Amino acid sequence: MGYNKSNLPKKGLRLVTEIDISRLLERVRKPASYLGREINAVFKKLGDVKVHLGLAFPDLYEVGMSHLGLKILYALVNKEPDFYAERIFAPARDMEDILRKEKIPLFSLESRTPLKNFDLIGFTLQYELSYTTILNMLDLGGIPLHSDQRKGGDPFVIGGGPGALNPEPLAPFFDFFVIGDGEEILPEILKVFAHWKDGHDRRGRAAFLKKIARIPGIYVPSFYEPLYFQGKFYGMKVLEKDAPSVIERRTVPDLENAFYPESFVVPYVDVVHDRAVLELFRGCSKGCRFCQAGYIYRPVRERTVSRLKELAGSIINSTGFEELSLSSLSSSDYSCIEGLLEELEQKFGKDYVRLSLPSLRADAYALRLADQVNRSGGVTFAPEAGSQRLRNVINKKIAEEEILEAAHLAVSSGRSHIKLYFMIGLPTETEEDLSELTRLVQKIANLRQTAGNRKHAFKVTVSVSTFVPKAHTPFQWEPQLELPEVRRRQEFLRQHLRKLRGVDFTWHEAEMSFLEAVFARGDRLLASVLERAYAMGSRLDAWSESFNFPLWEKAFAGEEIEPQNYARYKPALDDYLPWDHIDTGLSREFLKREYQRALKGDITYDCRERGCVGCGLENCSLRQVEKGVPL
Amino acid sequence: MYHYRLCFSKEGDLKFLSHLDLMRTFIRALRRAGVPVAYSKGFNPQPKLSFAAPLGVGLEGKNEYLDLYLSEHREENKLMESFNEQFPPGLKIKKISTVELNQHPLASVIGAALYVANLPAVPPDLPQTLAGILHMDTLVKVRQDKKNVKKVDLRPFIYDLKIKDVDGKDTLFMLLATGSKGGVRPQEVLELLHLERDTEIKVYRQDLFILEGGTLKNPEGICSVYYL
Repeated sequence: MGYNKSNLPKKGLRLVTEIDISRLLERVRKPASYLGREINAVFKKLGDVKVHLGLAFPDLYEVGMSHLGLKILYALVNKEPDFYAERIFAPARDMEDILRKEKIPLFSLESRTPLKNFDLIGFTLQYELSYTTILNMLDLGGIPLHSDQRKGGDPFVIGGGPGALNPEPLAPFFDFFVIGDGEEILPEILKVFAHWKDGHDRRGRAAFLKKIARIPGIYVPSFYEPLYFQGKFYGMKVLEKDAPSVIERRTVPDLENAFYPESFVVPYVDVVHDRAVLELFRGCSKGCRFCQAGYIYRPVRERTVSRLKELAGSIINSTGFEELSLSSLSSSDYSCIEGLLEELEQKFGKDYVRLSLPSLRADAYALRLADQVNRSGGVTFAPEAGSQRLRNVINKKIAEEEILEAAHLAVSSGRSHIKLYFMIGLPTETEEDLSELTRLVQKIANLRQTAGNRKHAFKVTVSVSTFVPKAHTPFQWEPQLELPEVRRRQEFLRQHLRKLRGVDFTWHEAEMSFLEAVFARGDRLLASVLERAYAMGSRLDAWSESFNFPLWEKAFAGEEIEPQNYARYKPALDDYLPWDHIDTGLSREFLKREYQRALKGDITYDCRERGCVGCGLENCSLRQVEKGVPL
Repeated sequence: MYHYRLCFSKEGDLKFLSHLDLMRTFIRALRRAGVPVAYSKGFNPQPKLSFAAPLGVGLEGKNEYLDLYLSEHREENKLMESFNEQFPPGLKIKKISTVELNQHPLASVIGAALYVANLPAVPPDLPQTLAGILHMDTLVKVRQDKKNVKKVDLRPFIYDLKIKDVDGKDTLFMLLATGSKGGVRPQEVLELLHLERDTEIKVYRQDLFILEGGTLKNPEGICSVYYL
């Protein structure tokens, strides 16, 4: 433990030449992850491009290469001859040790350029536990951690993705954040950058930031100062006259005509999602109240079957992937899903390209769809809560009979494994809800009796995570359950579920969910904790083998910050929240109303089924009611 | 169904691919090239191809072999071209020949591999150590993996060791048993020769052989050998 932040000299860093890389790779456990010579990787001469962008994913190659957003932006930027986007991933511990020992800066996969030599580095903020890894990558790449320490030749560091919707804990480390979909705004940024780079010496960083602060969807944190009174946050002061007081989220209005890659980089190594990905639609209208993605990607925008079919053809031809994943937040809700499956099956079935449907609703309809693409293997359902009452609270509109019918169908159609996702610590949860959960699992486990001679092979896996209240959702006003109580409820479930035959129980580490909750609704004061935890050796925290909770506790103590105050944060409905200057387009009245309905156990319909529910989004084709009009 | 035997090389950076990585790379290249590969039957059809002998991560292979089954006939040279168009630099098909369908897959008959290592510095006692090993009848070593520790006699797996001058450079040739009946890894032989610590030594696999009645046979003779 204990990496000294300064043990990477900024001068005299060595470059990774073709000869060097082999010497590095010979000594690490997963050398092929650092090769960057995959099929469809893009190579450009650095001298030929005007803007050099590093697309960084703050986790290992096998995780980052599974992320769709990165693939979209990589292809989008690289289709422009003047722009060059390269991939950058976090090194595993063994590689990091070698880089530090030999004073080799972290480098990109394609041209093996040190991070500090890029024009801009964009980090995707997918989960809170990746934040210290960002600091590690900056440091390893020779870039000062704080934006105000960066000078002339240093890259601009950009953050995007869901984490950018509450960027405050990361504010000092980023030059700016991009709020919302990246397809339109990223080329805009790069064009402004190219212009700025042409016309100026590169010392005037502020000039560039002032320029882009005017682009809708850009948040330059150094232009804003959080205000506190007696330790309580009460608002944001805008320090720069051209910076907007509220930053609006960018959305690509027409997904059908938006850019989508026709080829993906084909990894050599076995990455987490090793398949071609077809994004059917963006956004989700189900309105599950705990789900940030369900709010921050609205409205629902679909691609047509013919466009998807065309894209699928190009992607499979250019990559040779044996599997095509039909991806979205809830794939069985794609309006022409049956037609699409039929067409794709016809197109690819004879070539042995498998289709897969992630994110299925836990009902019989979805299961029939899943059966259509693949009848073997397991199936995953996410009832999220065990009792009907609690499912109403979180607005997960699925009845127990539907879940059981789907499970029954899964068993009878020959599947050997059902995986069930639940959350504990949901608002209003009681022990009775947990007992209901075990009863539901029991009923599903009992279905093995109907599996006949396969019944011994039939397994139910129950995976339980802890509810994390997220910014910009109706539960942003709700505290997280305190840690000892989370552990007690986990133990309760373990005791009850272990008695059931054929049931496996797994759970997410409560301490990880606790930290997520702290940073998911964190403010700018938390940046110092991130920096301290990183300096003490924290990184790759989402991996349980590197997660070190006592270290985090020390980091909080060292900064004299009580993490409980964040995880258990219960602001009043009209308090100004640390992320209130970021506008998702949904009205606050809507979120409040949803929160109050949740506490009463009232469900809210899916607007795509029963009409507008008044979320306040202006660029939505279903919009019928004005902001604030009740249901 | 049509049975082809491919000879290929895996060199440069691609030596870092594992056996499974290489298999994925082949299967995806086949699909991109539109080659009509045959699939196994059943719930989870798999493309019918099998490698002669897995090559370890970090080793280059100059002449590696693969059995491939197609559902339609393809002319060998056309097939080779379409593969090579789809391969990343470092991976190359050198030759393809058609094989009778009833032939055993290579994986079941490959018995020996020739490994070659450059020797930047030859320790004075190396020729003696080498001769000593070849004179022994048994050479029992302890092998340890995650679960087991067991004693193995390595001597029967070492067919020949030689130091030869190749273009003015000392080069170690190791002809070692490989395949289903057991074998020895080149790294283990370097340990026997006390050379394992020399990081300048680079080993590659030159070729694979079929053992037939005590003699070595190059698979279908489709690649040239310069050894022995």
